[in-house]
Amino acid sequence: MINLAQKDIAHTLGKFVVTAMGVGMLLGIVLIMIGVYRGLLVDAQILLDNVGADLWIVQENTMGPFAESSRIHEDLKDTLKVIEGIDKAEAMTFQNLQLYGQEKPVRVTVVGYNPHAEINPINKNYLIQGRALQQAHYEVVVSVETGFNFHDTINIGRNIYTVVGVLKKGCVSSSGDPLIYVSLKDAQELQFSYSNANIRNDRDRGIAGDGDTHIANAIVATIKVGYDVKTIANKIGMWKHQSVFTNEEQITVLTKNLVERSAKQIGLFTVILVVVSTIIIGLIIYTMTLEKIKEISIMKLIGIPDSLIVKMVVQETVLLGFFAFVFGNIFSNLTYDKFPKRVVLESTDAFILFGVIIIASILASFVGVAKVVRADPTVAIGG
Amino acid sequence: MQKEQSMRVENLVKNFGKGDSLVSVLEGASFTINKGELIALVAPSGAGKTTLLMMLGCVIEPTSGSMWLGEKKVYENRWLTKDSRKIRRQKIGFIFQAHYLIPFLNVLENVTLVPLTNQVPTKEANAHAMELLQYFDIAEKAYNKPSQLSGGQNQRVAIARALANNPEIILADEPTAALDTERSISVVKMLKKIATEQNVAIIMVTHDDRMLEYCDRVMKIEDKKIVFI
Repeated sequence: MINLAQKDIAHTLGKFVVTAMGVGMLLGIVLIMIGVYRGLLVDAQILLDNVGADLWIVQENTMGPFAESSRIHEDLKDTLKVIEGIDKAEAMTFQNLQLYGQEKPVRVTVVGYNPHAEINPINKNYLIQGRALQQAHYEVVVSVETGFNFHDTINIGRNIYTVVGVLKKGCVSSSGDPLIYVSLKDAQELQFSYSNANIRNDRDRGIAGDGDTHIANAIVATIKVGYDVKTIANKIGMWKHQSVFTNEEQITVLTKNLVERSAKQIGLFTVILVVVSTIIIGLIIYTMTLEKIKEISIMKLIGIPDSLIVKMVVQETVLLGFFAFVFGNIFSNLTYDKFPKRVVLESTDAFILFGVIIIASILASFVGVAKVVRADPTVAIGG
Repeated sequence: MQKEQSMRVENLVKNFGKGDSLVSVLEGASFTINKGELIALVAPSGAGKTTLLMMLGCVIEPTSGSMWLGEKKVYENRWLTKDSRKIRRQKIGFIFQAHYLIPFLNVLENVTLVPLTNQVPTKEANAHAMELLQYFDIAEKAYNKPSQLSGGQNQRVAIARALANNPEIILADEPTAALDTERSISVVKMLKKIATEQNVAIIMVTHDDRMLEYCDRVMKIEDKKIVFI
């Protein structure tokens, strides 16, 4: 039997290909939107994975530095170290600031840690140049996305820092800002110390002190082998003046509390795009059917059954969906790394989208099928 | 020698509407068409030519009466088969004012579309189609699209398509309407030749009285009745 869909597509191949490419770009955007969501999840966990802590001890009644402001005394780490089951404990700071020196200011997330401590949040596998911090002051390790190069100097706060290490692309915080690492002391000064003018002003106001900089945003700790993380977390949780989270809970804070809204937004946008794609496919098929309505009427008149004509319309729609999906994949794979934030394309998402688009195509074909069923075979008679 | 019956209708009635708005188009038409005949169907505009042609073509349902295609009764106050479209593709051929070929199929595919739908094996359908195309002297265009053929060539392909399912009858709806006199006469002569050589009945709607002399009989609709002149 003659495959009418194949013959019709071959007859208007250029038009079909261009249409499929157009719809394909829409589907490519759908894939990229899903990739942006996947990227958010990956970004959210990079810092946590690199720190590699089992416990996060933060300011009481806060969810930690990734969700809200958290201040905790640095020396709590020493108290934690004597708890049975605690292996290592270190203070760390996390803050956002702008770096100048490039054409445009670069927004970064600064991680402060003690370079001589046992917990080092810099993943050495990510270093593409130089080394991790070794000095207590004025060294900085930057992500390559900051635009700064090895041995560059950067003005941060009141001091000049030298780039001693460069991390590969993708070392970013949950907000997608490139990470930079400075020593804990430098980070504390950046975050907690007042300017000289401010200190003088405070003294004039009768406020004593130059400000305590021995503060961190979180104390991170690792647990010895054989001890239960949750048990130790519960034990620390009973103390006053701090809250404690396991690493999994911190991941939940990041992925659920912070990324969830973005994910919903992206999800809704993706659904809308899929619906729009379905409507567009439906309209294209409707137009394609309308263009053939005379031929369809003739076919009905000479006795071709509806099933054969409907098959042609459905096959054309599904093929349009299939080729649009193929073009969408090509488009997304060619463009995903051009986006400023991480886009992670996963084959699972592509397979799911494929299923959705095939179903959507079949649904979209109904508008063409309805037109076929209603086509009047008598239009060819009587001129 | 008794002529072989191609189509017979008895007391065929067609009304549109109901009650006060009932419009009668055809009142009790009865006639027999034999194989090999070329019949001209003439009537003024609005007299019901198209309605009659669509009823004979099993496209619209008569109100009452009986109808045979060949020796098979296909209608008796209702269609005697569930699928009247199947009757069309198995027993009737259509020729239109324009060729109305399917533009995305080549000549051979246009001719074989109906036989293949009738489950005729591809090889057999192709062979018969090629015979018809050779008969119409257009076999060399078998793999061309209709857009690559002249108007006359396309009309010949359309006639070949109408013959491809070995129909009991061919219904031709004003096949000469768009042609000049010379070409019209040529087409009607060809239809007569086909009717004779292929032993098939043809009912041809025409407004052109000059074509009547080439037809075996003239069927006229007068006051909702069929008369042969």
